[in-house]
Amino acid sequence: MALTGYGLGQAAKQEEPLKSGDGLLPYVYTEWEHYTTKTGLPNDHIFSVEASKSHVWIGTEDGLARLDKKTRQIETWKEEDGLPWRVVSSLAMSEKTGELWIGMFGGGLARFSGGRFDHWHQLNSGLINDVVYGLAIENDHVWIATTAGASRFNTVTGEWTIYTEKNAPMEEIWNYGVSYNDGKVYLGIWGSGVLEFDVATERWKDYLDPDGEMEIDLYRDDGIVHVITTGTSYIDGVLWVSSYFGGNRYDGRHWRGYFAHDCGLPSDFINAVMGRSANEAWFGTDKGLGAVMDFASDTWVIYTMNPKTHTGQAVITRANEVVKTVEMPLAIPHNYVLWTEVDGNDIWVGTSKGLARGIGKDYFAGIRTPETLSVSDQQPEGRNTVSAEKR
Amino acid sequence: MKSTRIFLVFFFLFSSAALGQTVELPDPELLPPMENDDPALVEVLEKINAVDSYEVPDLKLRREQNYAGTAEDVEPFSGVTPFKEHFLEQMEYTGPGRAIPEPEHLETVKIGFIGPIMSTVSVATGGKSHEEPLGLQMLRGSRLAIEQANARGGYLKRKLPFELFVANDNGLWGASGNEIVTMAYKEHVWAILGTIDGANSHIAIRVALKAEVAMINSGDTDPTFIETNIPWVFRCISDDRQMGYLLVDYLFRKRGFKRIGIIRGSNRYARFGVREIIDGSRRLGNPIAIEMAYTLGSTDFSLQLERLREANIVAVVHWGDGTDAAMILNQMREEGMTQPYFTSDRAVTSEFSEIAGQNAEGVWAAYPWNPIRKDPKLEAFRRIFRERFGVDADTYAAHGYDGMNMLIWATQVAGLNRAKIRDVLAYRSKPWPGVTGDIAFSAALDDVGTVTLAKFEGGKWNFHTREDLQIPRGFIPARDRVTRTAAAATTD
Repeated sequence: MALTGYGLGQAAKQEEPLKSGDGLLPYVYTEWEHYTTKTGLPNDHIFSVEASKSHVWIGTEDGLARLDKKTRQIETWKEEDGLPWRVVSSLAMSEKTGELWIGMFGGGLARFSGGRFDHWHQLNSGLINDVVYGLAIENDHVWIATTAGASRFNTVTGEWTIYTEKNAPMEEIWNYGVSYNDGKVYLGIWGSGVLEFDVATERWKDYLDPDGEMEIDLYRDDGIVHVITTGTSYIDGVLWVSSYFGGNRYDGRHWRGYFAHDCGLPSDFINAVMGRSANEAWFGTDKGLGAVMDFASDTWVIYTMNPKTHTGQAVITRANEVVKTVEMPLAIPHNYVLWTEVDGNDIWVGTSKGLARGIGKDYFAGIRTPETLSVSDQQPEGRNTVSAEKR
Repeated sequence: MKSTRIFLVFFFLFSSAALGQTVELPDPELLPPMENDDPALVEVLEKINAVDSYEVPDLKLRREQNYAGTAEDVEPFSGVTPFKEHFLEQMEYTGPGRAIPEPEHLETVKIGFIGPIMSTVSVATGGKSHEEPLGLQMLRGSRLAIEQANARGGYLKRKLPFELFVANDNGLWGASGNEIVTMAYKEHVWAILGTIDGANSHIAIRVALKAEVAMINSGDTDPTFIETNIPWVFRCISDDRQMGYLLVDYLFRKRGFKRIGIIRGSNRYARFGVREIIDGSRRLGNPIAIEMAYTLGSTDFSLQLERLREANIVAVVHWGDGTDAAMILNQMREEGMTQPYFTSDRAVTSEFSEIAGQNAEGVWAAYPWNPIRKDPKLEAFRRIFRERFGVDADTYAAHGYDGMNMLIWATQVAGLNRAKIRDVLAYRSKPWPGVTGDIAFSAALDDVGTVTLAKFEGGKWNFHTREDLQIPRGFIPARDRVTRTAAAATTD
């Protein structure tokens, strides 16, 4: 049913010699696959991606899809197949049960298990609103970030807890993104910054823009850059934050603000963020995909697609200086990036015109000496042919 | 909710144009423009029609040097150079939407309307809803625009009638979000006009962003509505920031008041309405002496007034609904409080003056436009509106009419493509000649047109511009804040 989206193989060029600096380079994804309606997706507008060991689940504007990572086969579900509502805005897989939880934009919450969809909405459950933006699995609970508050569903007892301005420090209740890791739930809330929920103590902590002003960010590193936050990702004790005004990293003591004019971020309009570690995070923006690959050295890689040739480009920057540009036949399928998902060494990128898989062959974390970074013509036919060789 | 919506659609569809309701058109020169041959527009159309799913049209973005015409001495943290200043450059839409072809087999061209038109108990509006009179006026203005467009031939490219799809925004549990989803994905509207309440507006525009449908707001004066960096959102009414700046300048620079007290409603409209007043007062060296909030629906304000009196304030600023404004004013006067009384735009109604009676004399209100200026378009609109609906047009009706006409124009020239409808509005080079005045979008796609101070004098409201009253203002720098300091240092 599905076809893989290998790009046409062609030799890529190293556009620029290395510039000065410490001489270390990050890993660059140069091998990409694309998945679109032509290869079996139900829709090209990708709102969410959830990777499991063997499959990748894809939430689109018109249906749900499951990609078999081994066979590249794609299965799809639309409303006529039992999916309760067409617009799948968020996905979360329970590692404990293997059940897929589906957040729908205007359709509430669904669980896909054993080939059956179960449906919860604001008229039959404790779901606070049917316009769902984000999902996260926390132990036996599912957290649902909605446009009118957050709901927490205990999948064992069936108990629902609703969080709004009544019982949480939400200045506004317009929840956007939710993530869970290591005992903490983080809500990214439009107009209310970031809220942290400690699962053990059930206590809240809020992170607001310290200057309190919508039209400025007074200091770059004083806290979240703006209260209109869109996503959070917590890993290795570090919180990554996205907003429509820039991004953030917070290690529990120090904040770092990221703006397009000040680092490698392609745009301040960030739809989503996914941290891979305390050192690396991926930001999906309206003008490309930006990855801070080494926090300490402020080393970024920005992936874009040339809209005329559809070829790809990766630009490595350090401290906002271009270090190296790598041209490649294929990178992301569109520059409007809505979702990023780290999957082992690979990276999945949901855009408004298709899904991409960056194949992390020989991926390494951080930065390394570049002497082995070379143009290879030894790649399999049909694949991109520039890669960062194993060091 | 679904049944309600169906009823509303049925009612509004078949109660007007569809049943042969004849709507009067003003003289041709007074009609909303339908031009599509303006050279700047032609260039925009050429560029947006030339791109495919992957390209972004090469169009010049608006770039401003000062956000919202803010005077230097009321800027936040004016003694510090901020790291980043937002809203100075227009947002782009970089997605693939422009390449979506027009659908075939349409019977109507649907435009969405969302506003508070049915009474509910709403969390967003702070209890029992109270904005239905405003929402119904906005709906009437929108309906008139649709009916007139249909009388002029409807969607001219395909000879299809426009259809207004109407939804109520103040239901329970964030209903506005669900309604926008319905409009975008089930009803396939091409653009949306609404809402009034700030909370519902924010919920609605978050959905409009995801669903990629342009939304014009004609009734929410919350400054933060537009301060969200969403390229799909427009506003055709001046906001509380502009009204706050004018009122603060009048209170302190013109009248020289020192101790001001605020009494306001507990809802978002009032909470955000006074923010620039509070900030501006403090920044000009006259911090607000006391701010008291009251629960919506209250009729006894004695506690708040007692606290205001104890604070020795010399003037009172009220922000809230018009009936509240009148009741508070009456109780103030009954209790011997003679301080000058300033209130918000929602008090400029006949209900206010009827309840306040003689106490209304001398009251001031901030107002988002000048409704008494001489303009044949406005006069024709008022006359036709009155004949059509049997009531006078107010602010919400007039701005709803303007906003809907802008959407109709955009649909006519851009075609049935949501992204292109957004584009022709966002890149419009000339102000929209509305009945409420010329509407020119800022880089944030906001209307920063002339606001006024209304004074109730001789039994009616008179409206005064800054120039009329010779209200001084602070220096407005012609350079953005981030580079301003560096430039000054270089000059020195």
